[in-house]
Amino acid sequence: MGQQANQTLFYDYDVVKKFSIAAVIYAIVGFLVGVFLALELAFPDLNTTLPYLSFGRLRPLHTSAVIFAFGGSVLFATSYYVVQRTCKTQLFSRFLSNLTFWGWNLVVVLVVITYPLGITQGKEYAEPIWPIDLLITVVWVAYFINFVGTLARRKDPHIYVANWFYLAFIIAVAMLHIVNNLAIPVNLTDSYPLFSGVQDAMIQWWYGHNAVGFFLTAGFLGLMYYFVPKQAERPVYSYRLSVVHFWALSFMYIWAGPHHLHYTALPDWASTLGATFSIMLLLPSWGGMINGIMTLSGAWHKLRTDPVLRFFIVSLSFYGMSTFEGPMMSIKSVNALSHYTDWTIGHVHSGTLGWVAMVSFGALYHMVPKLWGVTIYSTRLINLHFWLSTVGVVIYIVAMWISGIMQGLMWRAYDSFGNLSYSFAETVAAMHPYYLIRAVGGIVFLLGALLMAYNLAMTVRGGSRQTQAVAR
Amino acid sequence: MADQHDVETTGHQWDSEEGYPLKEFNNPLPRWWLYSFYATVIWAVVYWVLYPAWPMLDGYTKGMLGWSMHQEFAQDSKAALAQKKASNDRLEKLSLKEIARDNSLLQHAMSGGKAIFGDFCAPCHGSGGVGVKAGGFPTLADDDWLFGGDLDTIYETIDKGRDGAMPAHLQGAGGAFSEAQVNDLTEYVLSLSKRSQDAAAAQRGDQLFHGEAGCNGCHGDLGNGSIKGTVAGSPAPPVGAPNLTDAVWLYGSDPAVVRASIAKGRTGHMPAWGSGAKETGKRLTPLQIKQLALYVHGLGGGQ
Repeated sequence: MGQQANQTLFYDYDVVKKFSIAAVIYAIVGFLVGVFLALELAFPDLNTTLPYLSFGRLRPLHTSAVIFAFGGSVLFATSYYVVQRTCKTQLFSRFLSNLTFWGWNLVVVLVVITYPLGITQGKEYAEPIWPIDLLITVVWVAYFINFVGTLARRKDPHIYVANWFYLAFIIAVAMLHIVNNLAIPVNLTDSYPLFSGVQDAMIQWWYGHNAVGFFLTAGFLGLMYYFVPKQAERPVYSYRLSVVHFWALSFMYIWAGPHHLHYTALPDWASTLGATFSIMLLLPSWGGMINGIMTLSGAWHKLRTDPVLRFFIVSLSFYGMSTFEGPMMSIKSVNALSHYTDWTIGHVHSGTLGWVAMVSFGALYHMVPKLWGVTIYSTRLINLHFWLSTVGVVIYIVAMWISGIMQGLMWRAYDSFGNLSYSFAETVAAMHPYYLIRAVGGIVFLLGALLMAYNLAMTVRGGSRQTQAVAR
Repeated sequence: MADQHDVETTGHQWDSEEGYPLKEFNNPLPRWWLYSFYATVIWAVVYWVLYPAWPMLDGYTKGMLGWSMHQEFAQDSKAALAQKKASNDRLEKLSLKEIARDNSLLQHAMSGGKAIFGDFCAPCHGSGGVGVKAGGFPTLADDDWLFGGDLDTIYETIDKGRDGAMPAHLQGAGGAFSEAQVNDLTEYVLSLSKRSQDAAAAQRGDQLFHGEAGCNGCHGDLGNGSIKGTVAGSPAPPVGAPNLTDAVWLYGSDPAVVRASIAKGRTGHMPAWGSGAKETGKRLTPLQIKQLALYVHGLGGGQ
């Protein structure tokens, strides 16, 4: 370090800034659609007679908006930020950076147009039709080249742990996306999948579960490994743990998909493998939580003053909780109760709101002021956002736990004559109050995100657009 | 856990230009973490030994327990059917009236009927058969029946379905009467339940009802419906024409709704679920229809 730099190199923050802005906008859009859907479930008349507003068409818009538009933008922004700073070099190609930004946003726009029109290929979390799939593939290959190219130009022989996770995420998602979307097009909007029947279902959930595993877990663990120690100003707790849990997680996750298809046409042996690998995945998942939370030991007092750190700690707690819950739900006897109920929805949201969104909020609060070379507009608003998010998630998941378990128990309740005690309609009626409570949780969470947008906008307004960090 | 302050970092450092540099302690794997991980692996291996687990070139490992999902399902289904078999056999053999006299068998039938009703009937007739006025779906929990409320008639209604047809009377809507005449008819019908506010109009409506419009041909000379009513001394035809003299209204009691029924007519349709249905519509077995009939009969209005 002590040497004088012989040339001045600027980090390329342009694309990071653009993705950060996109992330905030997509967060609000995605949460808003989610709140509307929650209200549609509570008050079915909100579906109206317009097909474009029906639950079936808007639901994939919500999931894609939050996972791929919001989550994806956060991952693009932070990975481009982290890889430059930990490799002490610029991004590999400005052209590829722009290609990924504009390409990804074009994908989002096409999705927003096609889904409400009912133009999808009907695979959960992989709804885009084949031309959009091809565009995603182009963007993703550009992302891969840009990321690996940057790694190759690093000034330090050692690759920081965050980058392993980002790279695993990029490679795995490429593989999952391509295999799950292998199809023969018949016209511009329709295609036939290469696989059929239960094999197609298995490929779909191999994809679906690893979208959770590599998009929402590995990618955001990469984010966590940079932003938590940076914000806590403490070294990562254990390098050895990071190596072991990285490889264990990558190896175990890819097997877990069949637990989405228990008690279906899927053969018993595949079901067993899905469940057992899900159980073995518990501790590798927790490795990330331990490394994140233990990084704070010796710095716990900072939680009292730093709301950004609070976001990180609570997100890691939700991460630990939902990665415990997931393996439990993958056990066949538990799954027999939980499957197809609101419990699954609660589980997913404890992971996505509690972990993914909250760790992303923390990263944005850390990163945005640095990108624009300014200080945050209001720490008090961050604190308020923190409490709104936490309370919103808790309301949401508690409502869904009660609703889901009640629903599962009602479905399987028999009277003494061996007849079902409840009709399906009665179970739906029983869920109404919990649907209302869930919508309240979602609204509270959305309010927090609106505060964040305001706070970050005011932060950026106070900043200078010319500020660029210098890497030596 | 080891106290990390005794532990060295790995010696590497990243991103040291701005803020705190990234470093890593070289803490060992937490013991509890490692042993818990081993425990899950052992659990998985045991599971693989006991249950179907690994695909082979030819088939897959079956597991020591010999368990399979299909076998479990077959056993559970068999046990469930066995539990009901004795009672179901008696239900099939006995007549509805005989079943109704045997309290324990009736309880069995009502339980099955409730489950079937919830899935097949409640969407139109409401939970517990309370009816849905907006759609003209009759209440099944009162003693006001369109086609009859005894066990055999209820069975027939479910088995073969029913159609109700109230013709339109207004000119332009398919009928032959003027706006004023329809108003008069409405006023008369309201007078049957003592709600008329215009005696003269009701008087004119009376003439039409029993004359030119011929309403009494179905609703009976007293307007008390095809179940109770008579036409010139003979029972009214069994066409499901409602009793107009009571407080029960199929589509609603509001005068505007009553007028709309007269002006534009109504068509009611109860689908057939058994022998009266086309092959694809036969969704309930005679045993199920029997249980349903007993359940509906027991909702409060059975005769």
